[in-house]
Amino acid sequence: MILLTQSAPQFFSDNLAILAPLIIIQLILVITALISLAKAQFTNGPKWLWALIIIFFNILGPIAYFIFGKDD
Amino acid sequence: MQWMTIFNAQSLESWRNFKWIWVPLVFILLGLMDPLTTYYLPQILDSVGGLPEGATIDIPTPPPTDVIMMSIGQFNMIGVAVIVLISMGAISGERKSGKAELILVKPVNHMAYITAKWASFSLLNLTAVYAGLLSSWYYVSILFENIPFTNIIISGAFYSLWILFITAVNFFMNTLVKIPGLVAFLTIAVIIVMQIFSQIFQHIIEWLPNLIPNYMIEIIETGNVPSELWGTSAVTVLLIVFLLIGASYSLKTKEMS
Repeated sequence: MILLTQSAPQFFSDNLAILAPLIIIQLILVITALISLAKAQFTNGPKWLWALIIIFFNILGPIAYFIFGKDD
Repeated sequence: MQWMTIFNAQSLESWRNFKWIWVPLVFILLGLMDPLTTYYLPQILDSVGGLPEGATIDIPTPPPTDVIMMSIGQFNMIGVAVIVLISMGAISGERKSGKAELILVKPVNHMAYITAKWASFSLLNLTAVYAGLLSSWYYVSILFENIPFTNIIISGAFYSLWILFITAVNFFMNTLVKIPGLVAFLTIAVIIVMQIFSQIFQHIIEWLPNLIPNYMIEIIETGNVPSELWGTSAVTVLLIVFLLIGASYSLKTKEMS
């Protein structure tokens, strides 16, 4: 088991190979949501609010936008 | 011919809505989450804090099948919710906006209309589920112990039936009511009622579709398909056929009125 004494950046760089896919997939999700938002003509509610939700809520933000955000 | 046209149109629409990108990604994330959090549980507990100085926590490493089953549990909760929500407006939304009338006023077979749309959404859902299952399997194999790949593929095939069933229920509800939110609610209600039903009559009923995830443990562990699962699969396939026929019948009668 890994010792629990290391600092957060140290821990992160040690486990980068395991954690990288998680971060990359989240990034792709956020970027697709933002592209979709930029292209959308009509949204449920103001666009800037959706942008904030997508960026600041992990995983759930983009999902919420894709399901409830578009008004077509 | 007609069937392929509707199927292609629906798939193109799902592609334009980015569904083909985000639904598989969400399932991959769901699949990754549990192996990772289980693996890093000691570190997570440590960083959250609140433990007295010098306290030692001994968490036994769970068997790999348990971790995969946790991921499947996630698919069954959040995954099913996503599946239900993305297809809640598949037909009801088109009926509401009048697009369905535009299509069905032409000599389009109702059955073709329903099954083509159902197949298009099922293909998307199954791709997503398999992507999630494989990512979970990959991480479990790296962080815990190796699980034979064929076991995952076989159990995934049976799990697909459960996903197809949920999609079929969703499409049946789509033809019953016109409000997308109500469609999602009714579908989830059916799943929950089935869950309660099978828990109460656990000792009598072995063949309800919602029992498929429970039977998967044995396949993942040993690679043997439990005999009850064949019966369950047959019942599930029959129910899917009935639901799709029922959906096209209900769409036909709804259109008359």
